[in-house]
Amino acid sequence: MPLQTATGAVRTGLVAFGFLGYLILIGIPAKLGGPALPVLALVAALFFWLILRRESAGLSAVGTGPVPASLERKAGWEIGPQSASDASSVRERLPYQLSQSVLLKGLLAGATLGILIAVVSGIAAAAMGNGIAIQPVFDKIVPINVAALIGVSPGQIPQAEVPFFRYLLQVLFFTGAGLLASLAAAAGRSGLTHAAPIAKLSEQVSGPTIASASRYAGIALPFVLLAYIGWLGLPGVSAFGSNEGTVRLLFTLVATGSGLFAWRLSLPGRERSIVAVLLGLGVLTLPFILDQFQNSVMGLVFIFVMMGLGLNIVVGYAGLLDLGYVAFFAIGAYTYAFLSAPFSSPYISNLLNILGISPETPLLGYWTALPVAMLTAAIGGILLGIPVLRLRGDYLAIVTLGFGEIIRLFMLNLGELTNGPRGILEISQPNLFGLSPATVTSGLLSSQGWTFFVALISSALVAFVAIRLNSSRLGRAWFAMQEDEDVAEATGVHLVRTKLLAFAIGATFAGMAGQLYAARQINIFPENFSLFVSIDALALIIVGGIGSPAGIVLGALALKGLPEVLRGVDEYRIVAFAALLVIMMIVRPAGILPSARRRIQLADPVEAGLDSTAEPVEETDLVEQTGTSKQTANGQEEAK
Amino acid sequence: MTSSPATSQAAGTDGRTVLRQLTRVLGAVIVLLVIWRVATVGLAEGYPASFWISQALNGLVLGGVYALVALGYTLVYGILFMINFAHGEVMMIGGITGYFALQFALARGWMEGPWAVVVFALLLIMVIGMAASVLIGVALERLAYRPLRQAPRLVPLISAIGASLFLQYSVLLIFGVSPHSYRKPALISGGLRLGDVFIPYTGAIIFITSILLMLALYFIIQRTKLGRAMRAVAEDRATASLMGVDVNAVIVVTFMLGSALAGAAGVMLGFHNTVVKFNSGFIPGLKAFTAAVLGGIGNIPGAMFGALILGLIEAIGPSALGIPTEYKDVIAFSLLVLILIFRPTGLFGEVLSEKKA
Repeated sequence: MPLQTATGAVRTGLVAFGFLGYLILIGIPAKLGGPALPVLALVAALFFWLILRRESAGLSAVGTGPVPASLERKAGWEIGPQSASDASSVRERLPYQLSQSVLLKGLLAGATLGILIAVVSGIAAAAMGNGIAIQPVFDKIVPINVAALIGVSPGQIPQAEVPFFRYLLQVLFFTGAGLLASLAAAAGRSGLTHAAPIAKLSEQVSGPTIASASRYAGIALPFVLLAYIGWLGLPGVSAFGSNEGTVRLLFTLVATGSGLFAWRLSLPGRERSIVAVLLGLGVLTLPFILDQFQNSVMGLVFIFVMMGLGLNIVVGYAGLLDLGYVAFFAIGAYTYAFLSAPFSSPYISNLLNILGISPETPLLGYWTALPVAMLTAAIGGILLGIPVLRLRGDYLAIVTLGFGEIIRLFMLNLGELTNGPRGILEISQPNLFGLSPATVTSGLLSSQGWTFFVALISSALVAFVAIRLNSSRLGRAWFAMQEDEDVAEATGVHLVRTKLLAFAIGATFAGMAGQLYAARQINIFPENFSLFVSIDALALIIVGGIGSPAGIVLGALALKGLPEVLRGVDEYRIVAFAALLVIMMIVRPAGILPSARRRIQLADPVEAGLDSTAEPVEETDLVEQTGTSKQTANGQEEAK
Repeated sequence: MTSSPATSQAAGTDGRTVLRQLTRVLGAVIVLLVIWRVATVGLAEGYPASFWISQALNGLVLGGVYALVALGYTLVYGILFMINFAHGEVMMIGGITGYFALQFALARGWMEGPWAVVVFALLLIMVIGMAASVLIGVALERLAYRPLRQAPRLVPLISAIGASLFLQYSVLLIFGVSPHSYRKPALISGGLRLGDVFIPYTGAIIFITSILLMLALYFIIQRTKLGRAMRAVAEDRATASLMGVDVNAVIVVTFMLGSALAGAAGVMLGFHNTVVKFNSGFIPGLKAFTAAVLGGIGNIPGAMFGALILGLIEAIGPSALGIPTEYKDVIAFSLLVLILIFRPTGLFGEVLSEKKA
């Protein structure tokens, strides 16, 4: 047992070293500067705590995904024999025995990590001190990071000798982190893990009063936040100093997101409709009270809500994985650009001559151009749909991805039609009831406020259509097709029509979004329509919950809105997001707010295959469990 | 759950049969259009024969590299029925690591030494690149794919996309945006001139090395016990495990083999293109996937020939069709789309695109 504990501890330390090593390589210490060592030690403590806690809870904490069995064996940090996975047997052990081994393990793992980091930074510092250039690239990154870790300024390393206690300090810090983590895990074992039953007990004792009070509090939260945002926007009010704009944006995102939960918390029926109307009104006032920057971010968020809702029809409802969705977005944007920008390509003017229309700019206004953009995108969707009708799954994904790239390459290289990489400039803004940003000078709505307002209305419309479609006959046909094409066809679903409709409707929504995007950007270029737009749209519906419109709004808020709040850490955004994507697939493949259908489907062991070890997704305790396992897996992911 | 042609035929004039006829007609029209275009535009330009030959040789070199990457896709697909979307990034990691190994060798002056030292150094660089790729490939399988082995098919694909982005942007954060340029040693920077045709040494070396590696892989798969286990798992995972094959180990070895080939390809592509950077694996990865599909995914000789054919088409295509070379990616992707539409089985493969695993 002690030997196993020791080897397990060393392994844990190695995994933690991999994780922290990754963080150091991507330049976190340099970013943190002076407090790099304590902060990293805290991160390490958190990492250890997650691992140790999982063990002390009998390896049962990670149970939300469909694959707990394989997760357990993944990094090999379990104490004792495999039978420990039997949660009850672990729980029956005396707490102090477990805490002792946990304590020992945390201490050892922390020491391993500390020694490894000290040795590596010592080697790096010595190499630099001797003037050995490791590599030109490393020379830029390593000195700053190592210096931050040792706690000296980068200039000091080559000249003065770094005192030995600096390295000792690292060992001490990380050992302390291990100790802290093990103490926390042991404490959690004895008391904190019982918190959930206590909460349940208190609910039983106090009756429904507290529950309904908390429900009302949840419903009231978005309104309180909205009022606060409005108050913050009043002239003369100032809070948070120079960060006010960012903080307001964050509050706006939280208010919109919590609005979704408020809607879910309200009881179906009259209460829900009242909440929905009030929420709608509250959100519609946002464009008037936010400033230009916040409005532009929110506008983008809701453009992506439209994208997500459209892609959701193709991917979430019909089950056709489309990675070239940006193509329709681009078609919508370029169509509107042709119709409203001064640039006129020879092809378009020839076409107009043939049609007998005298070319003038702008050709059409925003709302008159909308049907044209939608129609063009829908035609694009059908044109893409026809050839890929026979393809399924991964093949479909790759072909659509190819299509998206082809469209982008055409936009880039067909200079005469699309003005190539120079893009199309001066696209006109949307107007509303005869009013446009140009005519309204009172400052009631900023120009980005217009975009946000239009985006809100359009996405509400799109959401309504999407939700109604989902429960229509067509929606059921899509779902049947997603489940099994052959069976669906046998039961009378017309596959060709159903698939093409999914592509066409999805493309139409993307066309709307693209048009609004063009109006928002004013100038568009081919690089606005890279593969990443498709991936962003796909990711937001996956993170939010495939098939669930509310989840999509949440996903858009999280993936397009939050990064704007976190401007400072922009460079780490994509890495964090990519890791999140993998982790999300492992721990919660149904998304944050999954649709009922999807949840059932992913929890269904029959779907999962022959010797499935899948467990149904547990609804209780989900927040806590996902939180932990997400970060554990995060460590594992980054540990490589 | 395959829909065999027989059942579809039996269903009479349903949508699918009409569609099949329609796609056949459309396919014939497209082939005729391409032939017409080549005959009227491409051949009318009147390039000399040596031009076509050197283009074709270029294509073969590129095809050899694609083949190594395509084999990784095909191996993994054959066993797990999943597209390892991050395979291009595995290749890129090999290239980046190879770059640093090359810098190391250059700094020690090995590249100016006698030819034996240079050859040894080049081999060492390739082995280091391969080792790095193997490491990443195995980690990928462990962390991103293994937990999802039982999940519905969309889930591992999304995880793979995430892993691909993660690798790309980690490399961006660690090594920066700017491309790293490979410096060829003097020994291999020249070329061979046969009449009007110029064959660069690197091209010849790349082609020969990739052929050798492919032969080695073919030997492993066909002649060794390990290869037999791999084939067994590809055939039927459950039965293979009943017969005493350690399925997990076989899957790991499959990822190792595929990643090693990708790493070698990454290093060779580095020497060929002279630069590597964080996203330099993405497009070649897609192309290699195209090649794997072209040859029928899951089919090893298919991937090799598909890649060579793709390389040739990409090299000759733009001039033959009389369009600018910027469109060579469009040609490759269009080829992928066309192949999947008109012959989803690939040139040598069995029906998989309609199969649901």
